[in-house]
Amino acid sequence: MTLQDLYTIMPILITAGAALFVLLCGPVLLSASLTAIGVTASAAAGVWAALSIPTSTQAVAGLAFTPLARFLIPLFCFAAALTLLLSHSYNERRGIKGEEFPATVLFALFALCVLPCATNMLILFLALESVSFAFYILVSMDLNRAESGEAGLKYLLLGAVAAAFTAFGFALLFTGSGTLQLSGALARPDNRAIISAGWGVILVGIAFKLSLVPGHLWTPDVYQGAPAPVSAFLSTSSKVAAAALLLMLLALSPPMPELRVPLAALSVLSMVLGNLAALMQQNIKRMLAYSSVAHMGYLTLALLSGSRDGYAAVLLYGAIYTAMNLAAFGAIASLSVDQERELLTDYAGLGFAAPLRGGVLALAMISLAGIPPAAGFIGKFFIFYSAIKGGAISLAIIGILSAAASAYFYLRVVAQLYMHRSEAPAPQPVSLAEGLALCCASVVILVIGVYPGPLLDAIEAVLH
Amino acid sequence: MTSLIPMLTLLIFLPLCGSLLVFALRRSDAAVRGVALAFSLAELALCLWPLALSGEKATGAPAGFFLYQDAAWIERFGIRYTLGMDGISLVMTILTAFITLIAVLSAWQVKERAGLFFALLLALQAAVQGLFLSLDLFLFYLFWEAMLIPMLLLIGVWGSGRPVYSTIKFFIYTFVGSLLMLLAIIALYLMHGAQSGSYTFALPELVRTNIPYDIGLWLFAAFLLSFAIKFPLFPLHTWQPDAYCDAPVAGTLMLGSLLSKTAAYGLIRIAFPLFPEASRALTPLIFVVAVLGIGYFAWIAFAQRDMKRMLAYSSVSHMGFVALGIAAWSPVAVSGALLQMVNHAVTTGALFIVVGMLEQRAESRDLSSYGGTWGKIPVFSFFFLLFNMASAGVPGLNNFVSELIILVGTFRVAPLAAAIAFLGTILTLVYTVRLVQEVLFGKEKQPLELKDLSLREAGVLAVMALVVVGLGVHPGPVLELFRMPLEVLLKP
Repeated sequence: MTLQDLYTIMPILITAGAALFVLLCGPVLLSASLTAIGVTASAAAGVWAALSIPTSTQAVAGLAFTPLARFLIPLFCFAAALTLLLSHSYNERRGIKGEEFPATVLFALFALCVLPCATNMLILFLALESVSFAFYILVSMDLNRAESGEAGLKYLLLGAVAAAFTAFGFALLFTGSGTLQLSGALARPDNRAIISAGWGVILVGIAFKLSLVPGHLWTPDVYQGAPAPVSAFLSTSSKVAAAALLLMLLALSPPMPELRVPLAALSVLSMVLGNLAALMQQNIKRMLAYSSVAHMGYLTLALLSGSRDGYAAVLLYGAIYTAMNLAAFGAIASLSVDQERELLTDYAGLGFAAPLRGGVLALAMISLAGIPPAAGFIGKFFIFYSAIKGGAISLAIIGILSAAASAYFYLRVVAQLYMHRSEAPAPQPVSLAEGLALCCASVVILVIGVYPGPLLDAIEAVLH
Repeated sequence: MTSLIPMLTLLIFLPLCGSLLVFALRRSDAAVRGVALAFSLAELALCLWPLALSGEKATGAPAGFFLYQDAAWIERFGIRYTLGMDGISLVMTILTAFITLIAVLSAWQVKERAGLFFALLLALQAAVQGLFLSLDLFLFYLFWEAMLIPMLLLIGVWGSGRPVYSTIKFFIYTFVGSLLMLLAIIALYLMHGAQSGSYTFALPELVRTNIPYDIGLWLFAAFLLSFAIKFPLFPLHTWQPDAYCDAPVAGTLMLGSLLSKTAAYGLIRIAFPLFPEASRALTPLIFVVAVLGIGYFAWIAFAQRDMKRMLAYSSVSHMGFVALGIAAWSPVAVSGALLQMVNHAVTTGALFIVVGMLEQRAESRDLSSYGGTWGKIPVFSFFFLLFNMASAGVPGLNNFVSELIILVGTFRVAPLAAAIAFLGTILTLVYTVRLVQEVLFGKEKQPLELKDLSLREAGVLAVMALVVVGLGVHPGPVLELFRMPLEVLLKP
């Protein structure tokens, strides 16, 4: 290993080092300084990755700083940093103490950074499961609430089944091709039947991770039970990681026509059922969970085209979705008092009582609904553009109609915020860290919405 | 000179800056109103300035455009920031600036969260101005959608009755239509790109696309649906009475006077030129809904006891003439339709304002509450009568001219449609006469303490009355502005 190799895997080393440091030195340091260390480390790793030049040479066996990693690592670091900023005062209000929270977030970030660097199925699987493992812990971190533990258990049990499916799929790919190298294993068309079977089993596992219908059943319970900052992190980074995994596998494979029907079915079911179920929710976190099901359906629609445009749309949507959901769950976290505001009606009048957080929540909803000038519109445009270009016109029409229906439940939140009188207890003033995180997410939403050029260029560079 | 100052960008961003400034000053009601008024006056002045330029041709611009601006924006998709102003856009931007100014003045008494109210009003103006100036289809769509959020909040936060229900209904209706239009835009873009090799949303380029008839029909239907909802055309109008009635006066003004015009403008500028064959095939359908709308809505208006609701139906009934003129698609009929857009905006807008003033005084919109106001508040009653006469199509006032031009233009293309539409005007007379009779004349039904117009109110109405009379006796200059652009748009 040369010094050059060390440079390329530096983001991974930074996050791993920070996680260990926080865990070991946590007992003797103030909790504010732990958050500060975590945010600094995430920011440093992200900036480092963004400024490095991607190579195809493996730094250590099974790891290379690929162009995809250069795009995704800063994104994951952004999400982790915002999660840490949001969780600090949230955890204080909720009595979640100790260094294990920031440490686990950093461990999750470490695994997320490894994932896009993987060149080997084993590393890929280990990275994916390490991400999930960190999230099992994070979801059940709130020991004072039974729902949190329940959500963690539910997530763990179903997650274990999904992990078994994914592992079995990788094993079949290995059997079919005789190698664990991603480029070698996927490029080989011999043993087609075994490889197709492997793909089918992997899809089952990924459908669970992406919460595509019918693998979505855990999602509302887990989002509802988890602390809001964890839901923010979970709904963004773990989803983007799973989508990236699917993207890496698909991009390296020869065209797989047999995947078209299952992917199309997953996509349509998720878009339609996700949005319909979200229409009926009274609980905002459950509503966002079903909305996330629908959004992953849109993502799958773009993947389906199998074209460069489709893959670019997935990456763009992943980035935009990260900003939107961090803003939405961040505002929910920050607006919570001693209890979280669960029902939609708990948000009545908050647009005026807490202008910043209400505004950010409204912006997130407008963006999720796909209304310009928020970034969600650009994302949806790209998704449907790639779908129509790929010839999936009927799917695009189903998708766009379900998106139109989804405007209703997003607007209900906006209506609660601005058009109803408040009876709920007034929120506490926004803390500096929360304000910073919410402003960051909002600025990203607005800037991408108005001027997406640089981000699109960065994505082009990934796919080149 | 014109190339040094990005006029068109300024037209969009001046109200946007005003909006941000007003929001920043929201603590003081007086400052908010003053700044909003100043910005809307400045915008109107800015819109009037290009009048001197009309007739010239800007460098690099398509035929007919005398101000033009073009810059790369999202290069990945060939999306450009292209703005252009021809005679039609010029009149529409002036109309937008004028109506916004009136809206600001008529919202003078908004006390609750005035800062946000005026900020949204100006933001809405920016979106409408952008829409009237866009020559890039993506940009047009962006402004088309950007109008929704300010409007949604204006109705929902400051509305009366069932504002949340009405505003969400309005939003969902328009949103469904526009998303289908988005798909059509993407399909058109891909088709044009595949044919010519250059992927672009530029309207003058897209017009040249060779579209197979059956696909064109679907795409045109998507555009038509989107525009027909906002127009609104029968039977897609059901959101409209609720939204018009429950909105605050300034909101109704923006919605009824401007947003419905954006739909008509979209048909003229985009849908018909893009799909000449498909639009010709669906013309009979548009004739039917237009004529049906004129008569049916006038009839429904007659049945209303709530004045604002009556005006809402009257408004769609008059918009039927615009649809009629567009469907005829001849230079005379379309220029009549464009003039009718201006006249409708001013007349209907003025009517909504006078009814709003009456409601503010007596807290009732019910016809049964009023009677004999002529003797009590003569200045108000004069304006009330004048605008109703204009709406009924009395010669010498503005609506008469444009409705006549539309009927004449349509008669050459579709005599039957023109004849039935003419009968519809009689129904207009019926409900207008009843409104005037019950409110202005007769006996007082309830004892009401009514105050006559304040100086501000009288000023607002006097300015609108001037426009009503001015356009009624001398519409020539406005029609002249439409001539050149229509030659380009309607060329076979």
